[in-house]
Amino acid sequence: MNIHINGQLLELVQAANTVADALTQYLTTENQQQSFAVALNGDFVGKADYHITQLKHGDCLDVLFPIQGG
Amino acid sequence: MSLTIYDTSLTSRLLIGSALYPSPEIMKKAILASGSQVVTLSLKRQNPAEQAGAKIWQYIQDVVTSQQGYLLPNTAGCKSAKEAVTLAKMSREIFNTEWIKLEVIGDDYNLQPDPIELLSAAKQLVDDGFKVLPYCTDDLVLCQRLYDLGCQVIMPWASPIGTGKGLMNPYNLETIRLRLPDATLILDAGIGKPSDACQAMEIGYDGVLLNSAVALADNPVAMAQAFALALQAGEQAYVAGIMPERQTAHPSTPTLDTPFWHQSMS
Repeated sequence: MNIHINGQLLELVQAANTVADALTQYLTTENQQQSFAVALNGDFVGKADYHITQLKHGDCLDVLFPIQGG
Repeated sequence: MSLTIYDTSLTSRLLIGSALYPSPEIMKKAILASGSQVVTLSLKRQNPAEQAGAKIWQYIQDVVTSQQGYLLPNTAGCKSAKEAVTLAKMSREIFNTEWIKLEVIGDDYNLQPDPIELLSAAKQLVDDGFKVLPYCTDDLVLCQRLYDLGCQVIMPWASPIGTGKGLMNPYNLETIRLRLPDATLILDAGIGKPSDACQAMEIGYDGVLLNSAVALADNPVAMAQAFALALQAGEQAYVAGIMPERQTAHPSTPTLDTPFWHQSMS
């Protein structure tokens, strides 16, 4: 199954089908320790729901980190 | 006197951005020099291999903690209510705050807020428990609508973001102050000089939010101090009561018993 994550195509490994699975595959170990938040197809997904939110082929996942802003 | 943002009292009336500084170290020093207790920041995509964002985030956390301050996440880059609402919810989870600087841009040329989408997003966020600080134009009716739907803080622009043009429409801004006496008004965007911030305070604004004017100065730390002083001067002038403007000249020195008085001899 392929999804887009932060605009990049990502082929998920077999049996990976939740937001949590995709994050484990996409993020480095260091990234996973940082603060980040997730949106799936433009809708917010809370941390508590990563393991229960199913992905389907073609989904778009955004993973955002804190950055400076005005 | 203090600035109140919803139920929170702050000693500084300056809100400051964390972007565009020459280095993270200068950002930290400038924010500390400004005395500001509210620092804006944002959320963006980040390449997993890059760790620069983590360092910046640590600097911002350090400075806010040392100031006993508060984070004010923004929704910069959003062009629809849906995008802004999603980004606000993501920010709330990361930063553990109900405050959100709501930006919904309607035009790429001057980064002018989209009033229709802004109102829609503000309504959804207020209904969801957010404490919304909307960035908007200096349109009185728009500000009134935002206030009526529950935005206790309104942030009209001085001029387009990053231009440094100062107060384009002082009349509009002063009218908003007069018509919304109970709203917390913070002038946001377009500030270029400390005198711009002072002018905002002189007409009764409660605070000023800026970024570029400090970050892009030759010496951001000194400029941050200059802005802090300008806000104090403007606030004190407003409290002291500025004299009414007059159309004709009035001599300051008493004219009675003026020496060498040129009297008509005829």
